[in-house]
Amino acid sequence: MGMVHALGDEPEAILPRLLAGDQSRLSTRSDLVPDRALIVGAVHETLPEIPAELARFACRNNAMALAALRQIEAPVARALARHGAERMGVVMGTSTSGVSDAEVAIRHHQETSELAPSFDYAQLEFGGLAEFTAAWLGAQGPAFTISTACSSGARALATARSLIRMGLCDAVVAGAADTLCGLTTGGFTALHALSDEVSNPMSRNRCGLTLGEGAAVFLVTGEESGIQLSGVGESSEAHHMSAPDPEGRGAETAMREALTDAGAPAEEVAYANLHGTGTPLNDVMESLAVDKVLGRDIPCSSTKALVGHTLGAAGAIEAAFTWLVLDRAEAGALPLPPHAWDGERDPELAPIRLAVPGERAAPRERAITLSNSFGFGGNNCTLVMERHFA
Amino acid sequence: MRVVLRRMAAWAPGLETPEAWQGWAAAPAPLRGDGVPDARFLPAMLRRRCTPLSKILLKAAMEACNDEERSQVRTVFSSRHGSINESVGLLENVARAEKLSPAKFSHTVHNAQAGLYSIATGNRQASTSLAAREDSFGCGLLEALGHLERAPDRAVLAVMGDVPLDPVFARLVEEPACAYAVALQLATGGEGPGFTLRVAPNPEPAPVPPWPPAVEFLRHWLVGTERFEIPTPRQRWCFARS
Repeated sequence: MGMVHALGDEPEAILPRLLAGDQSRLSTRSDLVPDRALIVGAVHETLPEIPAELARFACRNNAMALAALRQIEAPVARALARHGAERMGVVMGTSTSGVSDAEVAIRHHQETSELAPSFDYAQLEFGGLAEFTAAWLGAQGPAFTISTACSSGARALATARSLIRMGLCDAVVAGAADTLCGLTTGGFTALHALSDEVSNPMSRNRCGLTLGEGAAVFLVTGEESGIQLSGVGESSEAHHMSAPDPEGRGAETAMREALTDAGAPAEEVAYANLHGTGTPLNDVMESLAVDKVLGRDIPCSSTKALVGHTLGAAGAIEAAFTWLVLDRAEAGALPLPPHAWDGERDPELAPIRLAVPGERAAPRERAITLSNSFGFGGNNCTLVMERHFA
Repeated sequence: MRVVLRRMAAWAPGLETPEAWQGWAAAPAPLRGDGVPDARFLPAMLRRRCTPLSKILLKAAMEACNDEERSQVRTVFSSRHGSINESVGLLENVARAEKLSPAKFSHTVHNAQAGLYSIATGNRQASTSLAAREDSFGCGLLEALGHLERAPDRAVLAVMGDVPLDPVFARLVEEPACAYAVALQLATGGEGPGFTLRVAPNPEPAPVPPWPPAVEFLRHWLVGTERFEIPTPRQRWCFARS
């Protein structure tokens, strides 16, 4: 697993900040939306350069993916040597692709009637992210990009598992990348979805999203040891393009299906990573769905107030957080990312249990985690990941 | 893995009936880029916001299912360009530091058609929207197979389509510029002819095809080709009827 976002660009730096609920990495940007300063989760580190032979793919979003991909270079090389290039597939998710570079290209076009010379359409089209990833890795199997808004990254992992189970691939690099840009910050501003303060999920004072950027990637194989993606649950809302069903039925279906798929009893879940955007509507419906499916004793948290809502990458980054705590569990006890908020419960929300700083899940032989992603257009995906301790 | 092709539908300007497509398959010619279907099959509320691509994809999607199937199938919407033409206007707004329209923004997400389809048909099943440059059709089929792996008892509606790219980007892309959609309702069992799909890397250069891969699939299917291969710059998509 490799990842980059506001908390850092390598797991060893990210883990202590994640477990401390460190919000100090969020920053303020005035260049994204006209006449408004936004608190965002921007990547602080310099991103790697795209190699010259892949220059047509050289945009910030692909550089973001590359920063995560470099962290898994060695295991990917071993998998390529073992299985062969044509048996390795790539499934990536994004909601932005290279839009931030296209904005510059279009401004150049307005001024000169020519697109910026460094711009190539492969940076903007969604499929470009997967093709860049495959080209950089040397993978020759199927490569495609899923774009289902905020569930894209979770779906990419679900698809990777299917490609392996069907025997179409022996290994799949799956993940997602998304970049802060004028289009998404302006669009969410127009929808009145952005918070003036840091997002405050599940609080009575919550008033919207904090946006972010980042990438997370996994090497997915059919090996039966290690951390398993044991459950996938999916649903559509049939409700509204940009608002969830207030009853949370789609969310409930996705969570129940994922647990059934994993053969995991709800009461044995050690930790649930919430979608937890901090918008008034999401938190109403999600707390309702979590309450119905998991009850009020299982520790949950939203990590979006640490890194921002990274949109198309959120499902992959949050899967990476749950993967990381499973990986670092000692004797079956998971260190839990605390729920970052102001601590003021909303009496209108179902009283689900929110993880506090320093908390560890009780030790168990079968450590089960769940991660929710609910997207624009009513597209929901829940992943169950687990690890067994002898 | 063998899949059954339970039902199919396609739409392109001037090719709006199964008979018209049969005639086209017998004497194929490049497709047109202009034209949109009448979208009266959609409620007025949804129709108002529909982009040309949404009308075309939803037209084919609706016709590849009967009333009962529409709300029960899982869906895969695959499009190389998706809503990028609508994004161009928003990108111009951003470049001029102007405010964006919330409705336009909501309809530029790549899964706009999947969302509209779900709302129009009351469909609460799983849905994926994806893109893969020249491999968008083939990868859409792989994703459909993935849904059949996860839920073998449920049919999947795989929809592929595009409209000609906005002129500001079109000169950067070599492809047949046309408006079209192909929708295939696929299942693991049941009545109907089926096919198997194999994919392998393509080491050869692939020339720009006269029409998109989804339409090439349709042509082979309609004229009854037993085995056929659709090459792209990255892959060879090998189909066999079974």
